[in-house]
Amino acid sequence: MSNLAWVRRQRSVQRFWRDFRTHKAGMTGLVVLAVAVVLALVAPLFIDSGVTNVVSGTGAKLAPPSWDYPLGTDESGRSVLLMIWWGSRTSLLIGFLAALLSMVIGTVLGIAAGHFRGWAGAIVLRVTDWFLVLPSLVTALVLAAILGGSTATIIIAIGVTSWPSTARLIRAQTLAVEARPYIERSLALGAGHWHITTRHVLPNVAPLLLASTTLEVASAIVTESTLAFLGVSANKTSWGTMLRGSYDWGAATAGAWWYILIPGLCIVAVVMAFTLCGRALETVLNPRLRTRAAR
Amino acid sequence: MLVWFLPMIKRWLGVLGALCLVIAIPGTASAAPQEATQSARKVVKVGVTQAVDSMNPFLAVRLVSGSLQRWMYSFLTVPDPKNLQPSPDLAESWTTSPDGLTWTFKIRTAKWSDGQPITADDAAWTFNKMMTDDAAKAGNGPAVENFTSVTANGQELTIKLKAPQASMLDIPVAIVPKHVWEKVTDIAKYEADQYPTVGSGPYVAVEHKKDQFVRLEANKDYWQGPAKIDELQVIFYDNPAAAVVGLKKGDIDLIGRLAPPDFESLKGDDNIVQWNTEGRRATYLQVNHGATTSDNKPIGDGHPALKDPRVRQALHYGIDKQKLVAETQNGLARPADGSIVPPLYKSFFWEASGASKIGYDAAKANQILDDAGYKKGADGIRTMPDGSRKLAFRFSIHTDAPSEEKLAEYLTGWFKELGIQLTARRLDSSKFTEETGTTALFDIAISGWSVNPDPEEVLGTHLCSRRPTASGQGGGTESFYCDPQYEDLYKQQQKELDRPKRADIIKKMQERLYADAPVIALYYPNDLEGYRKDRIASITPIPEDKGLLYGGSSYWPFYTVEAVTKDAAAESDGGPNPGLIAAIAAAVVVLALGGFVLARRRQGAADERE
Repeated sequence: MSNLAWVRRQRSVQRFWRDFRTHKAGMTGLVVLAVAVVLALVAPLFIDSGVTNVVSGTGAKLAPPSWDYPLGTDESGRSVLLMIWWGSRTSLLIGFLAALLSMVIGTVLGIAAGHFRGWAGAIVLRVTDWFLVLPSLVTALVLAAILGGSTATIIIAIGVTSWPSTARLIRAQTLAVEARPYIERSLALGAGHWHITTRHVLPNVAPLLLASTTLEVASAIVTESTLAFLGVSANKTSWGTMLRGSYDWGAATAGAWWYILIPGLCIVAVVMAFTLCGRALETVLNPRLRTRAAR
Repeated sequence: MLVWFLPMIKRWLGVLGALCLVIAIPGTASAAPQEATQSARKVVKVGVTQAVDSMNPFLAVRLVSGSLQRWMYSFLTVPDPKNLQPSPDLAESWTTSPDGLTWTFKIRTAKWSDGQPITADDAAWTFNKMMTDDAAKAGNGPAVENFTSVTANGQELTIKLKAPQASMLDIPVAIVPKHVWEKVTDIAKYEADQYPTVGSGPYVAVEHKKDQFVRLEANKDYWQGPAKIDELQVIFYDNPAAAVVGLKKGDIDLIGRLAPPDFESLKGDDNIVQWNTEGRRATYLQVNHGATTSDNKPIGDGHPALKDPRVRQALHYGIDKQKLVAETQNGLARPADGSIVPPLYKSFFWEASGASKIGYDAAKANQILDDAGYKKGADGIRTMPDGSRKLAFRFSIHTDAPSEEKLAEYLTGWFKELGIQLTARRLDSSKFTEETGTTALFDIAISGWSVNPDPEEVLGTHLCSRRPTASGQGGGTESFYCDPQYEDLYKQQQKELDRPKRADIIKKMQERLYADAPVIALYYPNDLEGYRKDRIASITPIPEDKGLLYGGSSYWPFYTVEAVTKDAAAESDGGPNPGLIAAIAAAVVVLALGGFVLARRRQGAADERE
């Protein structure tokens, strides 16, 4: 039995990969992402957090790109290239973990809202709606200000404000899955809530969840940058804090385009990559989108 | 809870506003009062980034309101423009009794701007109002704390004191006309918004639109003769970037108190004079050296290591002030080798020299810490001699202050070399004031003070009596300091009426602060201003030798200011065009947003204190 399931799963992964490969945009995104993630992971082998320390910034202030500083320097003579590299760790970490947190909350509440009809489901749904209409950026700002500035609080602030759309999506999918006849059969055979939600609903919403989470990471990275630009950061260099620095220290008036453009372009590139991947995933995993694309 | 994120919203609006201004430059002047029709009128427009909190001198606390008071009312005495020593203003002359407890001022024969004579009765009424009505103490209450009685006899004003007070010749109280003010029933609610105001200074306020502008006209009856210009306008901007744009395109003629980046952006404009002189401010670190309340009970959660003067001294050695000035102030400040009195006040300024001078020396700092038994752990961070706690300090700064963030980054870097971990903690200004001034929930905090020509006020902020009470009422301490030697010196200088001798005592007080390090002075920011030389022909600073234009404790610069006489033709502008209308619409949006923010801005932010 389990062997059969294993083979089936392996086959479906292979089929999925075959489909995904045909999406050029999705593949491009995936490659960009892989490069960004690998670079972030190997960074400690080459540099340490010292590159973001102002005391060790020895270059000229706001110097244009040169051999010594390929992407120029910031207002304290630190290399923009090295700061971008080290800062990618913060940006990506916050992006991934915030998306993960949002996904976990969204999935649990979404499945609960879809599975438990009646008053329990209604309450969960109303709570979701309530969070959905909260202006998420303002809420995140307030949360981060109250909790104080650290990586964990920024992750929490982003995570708890971005889950409602995931929950809505998952609930809709749960309703669709639970309408299928085999759920009824399962119920008739005596399956409990736990069995149905984890064995039947979760595997069926998982692909959609993957696509939605990928898109969620992109928006979490943007939110992190926005928060950092507005002054809420984790005391660590990230692409958002670099953008803030370029604004605070008048990079625009000084003509230091590298200090503004580079972090901005990095955000654009990574967010774009996540979006391309997410869209490709959606197309592959959602049969309805696939047929539409085929027409 | 809402207040937590307002600074960030404010910042966001500021960004938006600045962007809009760049796009819609012609629209920014819509806040300015109507242009005078006769071109012969000499008008000088001053831009400020702080709104008037009140036109009522009994209530106002902000610097801009203080400046307006100096222009609208005479004080008993005023700092002399040459050497900043007290000199006659409304009081022509004065005498002191031998015990220093009775002061007699002779009020000069002059007229209020409504033609009524000025008598000692007006001055006596002003002081008595402050002594008897708590509401009238909001602005300058401490100034009359030491008064027993104030009486008037013709032009003679007699003030009796509880204890001798050397700063009697620097009383920052505007003398108001009794015949106008005695009709006011509730001083706390009175906005003094009847124009023209009745005053005795070089200018009379004739119009005030809240958060937009104040228009003043020269007082023709001023006892020194009318000012050289006809009209002085004070125009408010919500953010410095907008004010700088306003100066560049000629909406305003002068702006003071600029931050280094704004000041530098004025470079290259041939019509603008960049004014860069010594300032009246000192920026220092406040160290929680074991904060106590006024009944000597410990308060707050300061790190125990900071109680050790050796640790504080090591921190002092670990700071490269030269580099701080270069990096956080764009070099536009003077590194501090002294204490809380800036070098602008030459007679009271003290500076360490020789062996007692503490310069940047990380090796020495490490040596001090090693000798004191703070051993480095495996992670390079030192621990307390008993091993109980790591030397990890918090550093409290304000949200939304780029130069403080940069300062924090540098201190973090330098202290790391000493084996001390520093973590920046950003607080909005009301929480910051509470934690560093009352509840003592800090280790190290950034602070600063704009010092008056008589430094008694700033010296008083380090007295035992200024510590918070047991019930948690703030007393205005800047350090929670309580040192018998310092207390003693403070009392001595209070009694010493001989100026040079008093200056010596005040220098000793600064020396004590420097050595014991409850506060560590970092630098003295320069006074950065800009004015248009195509509008202002001449202006005399206070002090006359490289002093301040705006923000000094005197009417002198704006009494002596001379405008460029311009041709009527040069003034005329083209008619409105569609672009201008669109720009004005954009400006209205910006102003509405600005108004929203201003309406919510609280008083007493740290750098607004005088």
